[in-house]
Amino acid sequence: MNTLVTLIRRELQEHKVGFIYAPFIVTCVLSLVVISVYFGLTNIQTPEFNFSTKIYENEQALEWMATADIEQITAVMRSGLVVLALPILLTVAFAILAFNLSTFADERKDRTLIFWRSLPVSDLTTVMSKILLVTLIVPLIVLPNIILLHLISLLSASIFFATNDIVPFGWVWSAYSLTDWFRIIFSLWAQSLWSLPLMAWLMFAGAFAKRPIMGALVPIAVVVVLESIVLKTNHIFHFIEDRLGFWTSSLPEQHEEVRVVDVSDIYLMFSTQDFWIGMALSTLLIGGIVYFRSRNNDYSSE
Amino acid sequence: MEREFAVKAKGVIKSYDDSHALNGIDLEVRSGQVMGFIGPNGAGKSTFLQAVLGLLNTEGELEVLGLDPRKERHKLLQKVCSITDVAVLPKWMTVEQVLKYVDGVHPRFNLEKAKSILSKTDIKINSKIKTLSRGLVVQLHLSIVMAIDAELLVLDEPTLGLDLVYRKEFYSQLIEDYYDGNKTILISTHQVEEIEGVLSDAIFMNQGRIVMKDSIDAINERFLELRPNQESLERARSLKPMHIRTELGREVFLFEGTEIDKLTELGEVRPPFIADLFMAIMDKTKSEGQG
Repeated sequence: MNTLVTLIRRELQEHKVGFIYAPFIVTCVLSLVVISVYFGLTNIQTPEFNFSTKIYENEQALEWMATADIEQITAVMRSGLVVLALPILLTVAFAILAFNLSTFADERKDRTLIFWRSLPVSDLTTVMSKILLVTLIVPLIVLPNIILLHLISLLSASIFFATNDIVPFGWVWSAYSLTDWFRIIFSLWAQSLWSLPLMAWLMFAGAFAKRPIMGALVPIAVVVVLESIVLKTNHIFHFIEDRLGFWTSSLPEQHEEVRVVDVSDIYLMFSTQDFWIGMALSTLLIGGIVYFRSRNNDYSSE
Repeated sequence: MEREFAVKAKGVIKSYDDSHALNGIDLEVRSGQVMGFIGPNGAGKSTFLQAVLGLLNTEGELEVLGLDPRKERHKLLQKVCSITDVAVLPKWMTVEQVLKYVDGVHPRFNLEKAKSILSKTDIKINSKIKTLSRGLVVQLHLSIVMAIDAELLVLDEPTLGLDLVYRKEFYSQLIEDYYDGNKTILISTHQVEEIEGVLSDAIFMNQGRIVMKDSIDAINERFLELRPNQESLERARSLKPMHIRTELGREVFLFEGTEIDKLTELGEVRPPFIADLFMAIMDKTKSEGQG
């Protein structure tokens, strides 16, 4: 256990920019934007998205706010907060992508692999520490950022609503559930498990290929093209497409459109065949990473 | 229980395509020995040391501290430490981070001892490794290794690229502060003259084979080098030296198994340097092969 904690701490020390600083900076920027909007300093208006205090001059909006019940407020607020946190999640997704591709390639390239392997840590433990990092630990690190953004957004909105006599200060707070924090973290963990085959594939490419990006893309491109020519099907392509998307795509159809998921939905994912196919594939890939890492001993001309 | 042998190898072979990097190595290293692996590039020194560390698959029988290094590598590494010329400490880490990392993963590492060793060097605990010179990085690596209560230490060209001062410091620290008579050390280096005083035993390797192995004491008894006086040259030649070389225009004769009394009257006698002995044995092997 101590070994695993040490290995994960080492990864966080090495990748603090991607996993700690970057999400926090994005959170700070988003918070500033939110505060600026509520204080009337800026507006965000795109064809799909409108975030501005002008919306509260709309009579219908004001009436809805005055009459909405707690469930309605909660639903709207959850959707808004999910969208607001997306840039943080995208930042972390990018950091995870870079980590997966580079983590086993870099240690070979800079030859630190020989030092790491000179210590009594098995290859399996090292590989599992990296898998645990991206699936369990990084979501835990991201969560406080999301909570911070939520709280700053709700506080700014409450001040704006109260000072403009729209609704009382406590309007949103009564509808904000602290248990949503659990909903978010479990949803992030579910997402990690859903995308695990892709993450494991990228790590695998880093463990065996001299050029990890090519090693990750070329075999997949070849297999996808061969499948479409020989079998006239696109199962592999759809498999990858699904894993790039939200884990909710694994749910039965009636749940697919649900944007804000409940913890109970995760059980539904566990009951799908797709999920377990992904887990089996991930296990094979993890075995492959361990195999290649244990054979990467190219350190002498003799 | 005291272990008699730290390393036991029987018929160890490592093949790459058509060539043999190790060509049937038979070797027993007793616990407490400081064994030097001497040979040119491609002799198989590093390959053998990698096999000892469980980094390579080999044919034949290999046992290190009673364990199979390939199958029980994880267990073995709790008792074995290594420094190789290419082992790079992670540049992004600070000295403190690397010490804490080793402390977290190595059950036999003593953090306080490592800090105490480092306090006698120029290495600052909060320095980033990338800011340290190559000499200091090797010194840091040695400090880490010295703080591990290991039974076997494998050093593969540990001082390559270091200047003379650091090389001397490395070996004096190793022997004065680390070696206690119970630890076994395997060293491979091209700078043979610098480890001569450190070794208890030497192995000469060439083309994946062991050419000669013996203790330094036995080598010093068995081989003698004679710088004959001008008038004794012919008499020295008649004693059939195993090798003759020229040094600053003067012939130097190497004898094997010749009594010292017979030689002292002919000129200046002393045990040969390991490097010179190695060259002589290589020349002899070559000429025997040609003959």
